[in-house]
Amino acid sequence: MKPHFFLLSGPVTQERLTWIGDCLKFYFIKLNPENFLHHTKTQQEGFVFLLTGDALYSLHDPGTVRIWEAILSLPSVQIICDRKELALRGISIEGLKMKLPDQVIDHNRLGINGQPSFWNDVVKIARQHEQPIPSIIGYLLMESPYMNRPSSHAVKCLKAALDVHASVELYAYLDGIHCGHAGQVPVDFENIGCGLEEISEKAAKRGLQCQMVACTRCAAARGYGIWDDGEGQVISSCIIKPFKIRNLNEIVKRFEHNHIILGENIASIQVKKENQPSSFLLQEDEYSPPVTIFITHTPYGTEMAFGGISFALACAAMGIKTRVIFIENGVYALTGNHTLKKDTRFFNMQDVIDAVAESDDLQLFAFLPSFQNRGLVKNPKMNAVFDIGIPELGQLLFTLPKGNRAGHQRVIFF
Amino acid sequence: MTKTDQNIPDFSDLTCTTLMIRLKMLLKKTPDGIPVECFVRRDQKDTVEVPFSRTGYDVSVTKEDSNQYRVYLIKKGAGPGS
Repeated sequence: MKPHFFLLSGPVTQERLTWIGDCLKFYFIKLNPENFLHHTKTQQEGFVFLLTGDALYSLHDPGTVRIWEAILSLPSVQIICDRKELALRGISIEGLKMKLPDQVIDHNRLGINGQPSFWNDVVKIARQHEQPIPSIIGYLLMESPYMNRPSSHAVKCLKAALDVHASVELYAYLDGIHCGHAGQVPVDFENIGCGLEEISEKAAKRGLQCQMVACTRCAAARGYGIWDDGEGQVISSCIIKPFKIRNLNEIVKRFEHNHIILGENIASIQVKKENQPSSFLLQEDEYSPPVTIFITHTPYGTEMAFGGISFALACAAMGIKTRVIFIENGVYALTGNHTLKKDTRFFNMQDVIDAVAESDDLQLFAFLPSFQNRGLVKNPKMNAVFDIGIPELGQLLFTLPKGNRAGHQRVIFF
Repeated sequence: MTKTDQNIPDFSDLTCTTLMIRLKMLLKKTPDGIPVECFVRRDQKDTVEVPFSRTGYDVSVTKEDSNQYRVYLIKKGAGPGS
């Protein structure tokens, strides 16, 4: 069985690390006390934190280092760091490594080109089956290139996936669709558009599948000049060749399959079962991995919160068991009484939450400690969103919804 | 288009997810037994038909034009004659 893993690229705050640590304690003490008593210190059935980008600063900040030490004192927990990104930032993790040499790793796996890369470690864990069994690795990209790093991570990750002979899929959502804009000419950064085209060409040469699908709503909003030929075929003149603009439902259809989907901040929680199915064979509802979406952003400052809820609704409409958890700054969506002018064609976040709350296959939760940390109270009218604390969050993360037989659960931070 | 048709909202310019949110809002405000109707595009009708028929609604869709469909939604068991 593969380990549970978190892939974290964005800033890891004390608040985030605290609730993640508390969930792990719940996992070991309440759900798997036998693992807690028989400390194995192996990756198998343990937790691996894959850290790159600004998440690495959490290994330097005294407030978060203290929490990491507590997490690493739990059985079978490892951190794998992106050594190049550590060096780029001038971050030293020698203190942690000296204390916990087996658990804090900063030597990355060699690729077929003989060079070490953090992304070789990532795809090694994300590839569900050992070669030569076919496998797919997906990447959900939600941020624009150059202003943000995830596009560069996506290119590196998908290239590493091809090197382990996995088929690749890129799902461009929200600002992520800009990564497929044609004619990118960055002077000081690697060219993301060219990187994606190279991935597509390399996949074809190796006989592997490569799909790059971008969301129609996000593309239209951002001026991609799309038109529909009436047959569901969406055309745009300003995207790179491998990119296909499709209805969000087309992206979500890929989530019905059982492969691992990576992203800027994601987790994959494994579920022990015998005869785990191949990612190519199964797409019935009961085998679709459930999706847990953490809404961590304020409701109106960015499109992240609305994007998360839309994505959740699309997953649920496809019959994928979906949970939305308002946590950290995401709880602002549930406080106060949000109002808009009555004659507007737009809607506020609370109206959206209220409307989608009774959808089949969709459950909404509010993480109470996030309210307490901010001195907030939940709007009592938002009673379709259930209050939860650490025990309930732990249960949601580490147990599959009733009747679901997928091999893992997808966790996505919006 | 009849006078009654003019009161039916045209949601053809909405994306599929937004259409679902808009319909869920309308259904929430509409008393049981009263149908909700709207016009949608060809590619939107699947978005409405499949999820809503699975979740307790009777859905009927009629073709009005080459790329225009009229959707009629009512809670199961709440329609005329139920």
